[in-house]
Amino acid sequence: MSQQEIELVFPSLNSSNYQVTSSKTPNYNCIAWAVNVDNRWWWPDQQNQYYWPKDIPREETLSAFIKAYSLYGYSVCNNLTYEKGFEKIAIYTNFQGKPTHAARQLTSGDWTSKLGKLEDISHKDLNVVSGQVYGKVSVIMKRSNPDF
Amino acid sequence: MNYYTCGSHKGNYPPSFFELNDIAVGEEGRLVTKAHKKFWEDYFVPISRETIPIFRFQYLKEKWKNGTAFYSSVSDIAMHPDYQQIIGMGTVAIYFILREMKENPDQWFWALKAITGEDPVKSEDRGDVKAMTKAWIKWGKENNYLY
Repeated sequence: MSQQEIELVFPSLNSSNYQVTSSKTPNYNCIAWAVNVDNRWWWPDQQNQYYWPKDIPREETLSAFIKAYSLYGYSVCNNLTYEKGFEKIAIYTNFQGKPTHAARQLTSGDWTSKLGKLEDISHKDLNVVSGQVYGKVSVIMKRSNPDF
Repeated sequence: MNYYTCGSHKGNYPPSFFELNDIAVGEEGRLVTKAHKKFWEDYFVPISRETIPIFRFQYLKEKWKNGTAFYSSVSDIAMHPDYQQIIGMGTVAIYFILREMKENPDQWFWALKAITGEDPVKSEDRGDVKAMTKAWIKWGKENNYLY
């Protein structure tokens, strides 16, 4: 998808605050990409067709997503600014409270997001992809990572 | 407009008969041509989209792809009205879906499972879109939907 089309869907994005960082692929989604996985589509679907961590409820709730990421060492925090020694992720929810998107912080302090079936982007601010499609950031989680 | 792009039609008002230039064509001829063109655009194209399965599939598929490109939620992707209409096409859609996913892998797994009642994907391959696609293509060949 062209940058113009991406910017149409996310009006807060402009050439100064984001970059497309991959080609488009349906092989993984933002939920997997938040934990650096780029070969699986994660979703707690009731059909049981997609990957979801074992023993985590297969339900589209924020608590299920928090539990899933907890398995990877993340815990809920209330600070989205870059902290040395910590890797952070953000979970977005829509107006019904259903998770829609996740983003991961980079060592630069910017964030990386996989846009659905499309490209990855890096963006300066979490709010630039907030809005009608992804709703707003509901939870920030962090885990210790010496590379950060 | 994508709904013309399958089959032999390329999207333009197609019959060469109506591409006669104005030389030696009277006013009546032009009116008939205009009326036929209007008929083609207003009647045949929408009707073909509804009644000819491949046209219908292509039309719904494009709308679904455009409408869900930014989604990660499998349920939002699958509950999209155009995807549901493809499922509603029933077994007719299986060949179109398999042929499409062979060329352009995408989230067709919900639809295939809903239509066929089967799921040939191994549990360890859940979410692995490449492996899932491969499993369904194999299933399609074994069940004579693909050759």
